[in-house]
Amino acid sequence: MEFRSFSNPLRLMLLTGALLSMVGCVTVRPEDKEFLANPAMTFGSSGESGAQEEHVLGNREGSSGGSSISGGGCGCN
Amino acid sequence: MQLRVAIAALVTALSSAASAQVTATATTTYYRESGGGLDQQTINPAVRVQGDIRDRVSIRAGWEADVVSGASVAVVDAPGSEVDAVSSATQWDDFRNVVTGGLGVRSDYARLDFDYTWGNESDYRSHSFTLRASAELFERNTTLSVSYGRGFDQVCNLAQPRAQEAVDRQRLPSSDGCFNADDRESLDLDIQTFAGGWTQAWAPVFVTQLTLQAQVLDGYQGNPYRAVWLGRTAAQENHPERRARYSAALGMRFWLPPLRGALQLEARLYRDTWDVSSITAEAAYEQNVTSGLRVRGRARYYNQTGAAFYSNDYALAPRGQFFTGDRELSPMSSWLVGGRLYYDFPPGDDGRVGFLGRFAIVAKFDWIRFNFRDFDYGRVAVPNDQGILGTLGIEAGF
Repeated sequence: MEFRSFSNPLRLMLLTGALLSMVGCVTVRPEDKEFLANPAMTFGSSGESGAQEEHVLGNREGSSGGSSISGGGCGCN
Repeated sequence: MQLRVAIAALVTALSSAASAQVTATATTTYYRESGGGLDQQTINPAVRVQGDIRDRVSIRAGWEADVVSGASVAVVDAPGSEVDAVSSATQWDDFRNVVTGGLGVRSDYARLDFDYTWGNESDYRSHSFTLRASAELFERNTTLSVSYGRGFDQVCNLAQPRAQEAVDRQRLPSSDGCFNADDRESLDLDIQTFAGGWTQAWAPVFVTQLTLQAQVLDGYQGNPYRAVWLGRTAAQENHPERRARYSAALGMRFWLPPLRGALQLEARLYRDTWDVSSITAEAAYEQNVTSGLRVRGRARYYNQTGAAFYSNDYALAPRGQFFTGDRELSPMSSWLVGGRLYYDFPPGDDGRVGFLGRFAIVAKFDWIRFNFRDFDYGRVAVPNDQGILGTLGIEAGF
């Protein structure tokens, strides 16, 4: 399949709809979510310390960061 | 002082509001690179306060600072002299203030957040906002989110004639007079960030998150203090003014019931119009040791290609009209290993921890090793290729 076929908006919508329909079939019942609710299973649970690490790495690697849109504080050499 | 009074007033106001729950965090991160004459350290204190009113509205405010000191090489790849570039690096200090504020509203299955950030330092100013929306679908097993961010930055530079050739531009000698003096000018940088996320619970022990992001930067993106040796003379580094960045990241969490811990895997692919592409892979394991105590260990690997206009020696191998002395734009890789300890103090019989509703501490330590395989300062390899990163923080609920 050629990549450009995804550029057709109708096909892209159909693909997205099909994907969501498939995802809708996946059901984890509320009473089965004990483990999913644990902080170790949660994305972004590192909080402030994770944001500060991203700030440091974003100033030292060419493609890290990017999720924060505020520039400055380059601390670069 | 005014800021502390404002934050204290916000805490008091939120605490007194009916049904309000207030959470405050205070963290300090210390980062240090050492080696040769390029020692560098950053201290990053941060305070955040968030109030949730009737479980529908969130109000948040924060302050953080970067206290940076170190040494930098003014002219990269200058021809050898009696003293090498690293030994003659110049000392500098900087202080950056960042203030944030935000508002969020949510219903049972959706939320909308708006955040504003103001940053100020002697040679850089920024205003930015982010608008974020998310919705939970299919019995909360699917979360879709979109966000748009816009940044308006200003960079101080030496005032130079517009018609001047890039090879004739001089570097900014210091931040003295920035945004005020006649011999300084302010250059704009506009940043737009688009992001989308899909978090999916596939099984009671397995969840994934896919994040797509695009960012467009338009404006001055160089370091005004840095010059590059071009053969006969040195000129302020000259980067393209437009850069589009694209990334896709996939995260996975597996719960291991016998161990009462979670395996966490992340992979990220990145590419931009400066021809930098990279891959990041991270593996971590987080263990619930006792009630409230969690320990996490991890390893991260990062590898990138260099920018299309990057050269380790522009006198011998120029790359067209652009030139840079930025080691972040050279081919490089890094390793990071670290750990984190998080302890949420168990509440007493009254459901409180002393006079607080909740109290937790976090301690984190990372060691980073960089490998710059095609970058040096003249004939001197990058000396500060290792760093340590430590964070201490507290979280309190009122």
